[in-house]
Amino acid sequence: MKVRFWGVRGSIPAPGPETNRYGGNTSCVSITTATGGLVIIDMGTGLMHLGATLMASAFGKGAGRAAILLSHTHWDHIQGLGFFPPVFVPGNEITLWGPGGSDHVLEGILEGQMDPNFSPLQTLKNFSASFEIRAVQVGVPFEVQGLTVTARLHPHGGTSALAFRLEEAGRVFVYASDVGYADGVPDAESIAFYRGADVLLHDTTYKPEDQATRRNRGFSAYDEACAAARAAGVGRLVTFHYDQDYTDDDVDGIVASCRALLAGTAIEVVPAREGDELAI
Amino acid sequence: MVIRFWGVRGSIPVPGRATNRYGGNTSCVEVRPKGEPPIIIDAGTGIRKLGKLLLEESFGDGRGKASILISHTHWDHVQGLPFFSPLYRAGNEVHVFARERDVHLEAVFSQQHDAPYFPVPLSAMHATMQFHGVSEGASFDIGRAKVTSARLNHPSVAIAYRVDADGASVVYCSDTAPFSDMILAHEFVERPPSGILPLALLEELAEMRAGVVALAKNADLLIYDTQFTPEEYKKQPHWGHSRPDDAIEIAMAAGAKRLCLYHHAPMRSDDANDAILAGTRAAAQAAGARFEVMSAYEGLEVTVGDA
Repeated sequence: MKVRFWGVRGSIPAPGPETNRYGGNTSCVSITTATGGLVIIDMGTGLMHLGATLMASAFGKGAGRAAILLSHTHWDHIQGLGFFPPVFVPGNEITLWGPGGSDHVLEGILEGQMDPNFSPLQTLKNFSASFEIRAVQVGVPFEVQGLTVTARLHPHGGTSALAFRLEEAGRVFVYASDVGYADGVPDAESIAFYRGADVLLHDTTYKPEDQATRRNRGFSAYDEACAAARAAGVGRLVTFHYDQDYTDDDVDGIVASCRALLAGTAIEVVPAREGDELAI
Repeated sequence: MVIRFWGVRGSIPVPGRATNRYGGNTSCVEVRPKGEPPIIIDAGTGIRKLGKLLLEESFGDGRGKASILISHTHWDHVQGLPFFSPLYRAGNEVHVFARERDVHLEAVFSQQHDAPYFPVPLSAMHATMQFHGVSEGASFDIGRAKVTSARLNHPSVAIAYRVDADGASVVYCSDTAPFSDMILAHEFVERPPSGILPLALLEELAEMRAGVVALAKNADLLIYDTQFTPEEYKKQPHWGHSRPDDAIEIAMAAGAKRLCLYHHAPMRSDDANDAILAGTRAAAQAAGARFEVMSAYEGLEVTVGDA
C-alpha cells in the first residue's frame, strides 16, 4: 500500500502562508494498492487536487475505477465531492462506502450537499460517472480494490464516525480520524482494532491544553493518539486532522511532542503533510 | 466607508503556496460605513477570520450587531457561517439577508447545520439571528446605509447589492454570467446551448443588464465576478461567471469610478491573477475607460467617501 495525503486539516479549509508546509485542505487520503487499485478515504477539499491528478490517468478517459471510504458526513469530509473531476467523466466507476446504516439514508445525506439551494449540480444524478453508494456494515469485513476493509464506529462528540482497518498481504493501515474517547482514554475495543497496525493514522486535532476546554467536540489531543499507538503496539503513528487555527509551527510542536512521548518505544511518528507519500 | 476583502475566491477554498498573495478563502467582503456596525457581503470561508476580529469589538461581550447580505446560497457564499464566532455569543444580533424563495430562509440556512453535516444546529446559536427575504430589485436601509439590489444571471439566481453611505457607494456584483448568451435560472443546464436565442430571452437579458448597469451607476467601487478567461467561458458559459471584458463593459456603461476583479477561479495561481490584472488594465485603457482597475486580494482595504 502507498498512502498519500491530499488534505490533513480538520473542520474547515485554512488557507494562508501559515499553513503552507502541512497544508490547509480538509481530510483526504489516497491508498494505491500493490496491484494498482485506488482507495480514497474521505472527501475533504483535498479530493479536488487528487481528482485533478487522476485526470491524467485512466480516469481522464472514462476507464477509472476507485473505492471511497467515508468516515462520516461532516462538511470537512464531504465538501470536495462536487469538485472531483472523475465523477464528470462517463465510464468511470466509483463506489462509495460510508456510514448511515442504509444505502438510502447515506445517499439522502450526500444528496443534501447537492441541493439546488447550495449547488449548481442540483443532484448526484448529474454525475456522468457511475457513482454507487453503499452503507458499511460495521465489523463485517468487505473487499474493495483487492483490500480487505473492516469498519468500526467511534464516538465523535454527539455523533459517531467510522474508523477503517485496511489489510493487504499481511500489511495493515488503520485510519482513525475524528475520534473523541470518553474521558480521553482510548478504550480496549479501539486498541484491539488498531492492534499490530503497521501504520496508525490517528486524530491529533488538539494540543492537550486546548482539548481541556473542547472535549465535547469529539476529537483527540496528541497525547491520546500517542497512548493509543503505544497500547496497540503499532509500527508508525501518523498525526492528522490539525485544528484550523494551528499554524505550521503549532503542528511542528505537536509532532515534536508526540516524538517525545513515544521516545524509548519502537514507534515512529510521521506527520501527515499534503503531498507526502508513505509506503507500507 | 471602508471596504475590506476577507475571501476573494470562487467555488471552493484553495489553500497552498500558489494562492498566498491573493488568498484562498471563498467570498466575503466587509463594508463599514463610518461609525456603523459591519455590513458583510457573503459568508464564504473568509468570514471566519473576520468573525475572530469582530470578537475584539463589541461582539466579544455580546453587544455586537451585524448584517450579512447573501448574494446566493451556493456553498462558496455560505460555508463560513457556521464558523462565524459572533454567532456563538449571546446578545449579539445578526441579520441575514438573502433572496426570497418558496422555502423559509431560516430553513435553508438550517440545512447547513443539520446533524449529518455539522455538530451544532442553527437553533443552538446563542446570538439572535433574523432572516430577511430580499426580492430582486428591493431597497432597504441598514442604519444610515441604503441598500439596493438587482438580479444577476446565475444558476438558481444570484443578486447584486449596492451600499450607499458616507456620500459614496460600493456595488457587489458576483456571481453572474454576461447578459448575452443564455439565461440562467432554476433549471439544470448540462451543456452550453446551441442555436440562436429567442427574442423574448434576448429582451429579458437586456433588461437584466440594464438593471445591473443602473445599480452600478457612478459607483465609487464596482466589485465584479471575473472568474473566467475568455477560453474558459467558451467551454462553460452555463456556469454563470463573467470574463474581465464583461466587467469592463458594465463598468464603462455604468460610469463606475473603480473596478475590482473578484471571485477568482480556484485553480488560478497568484502569478496568473497578476497577469489577468495587467491584461485587464491594458484592455480598459484601450477601451478608453477612465476608471482604475484593481484585483481583490485578502486584506485589501479600499476607502470610498468619508471614513
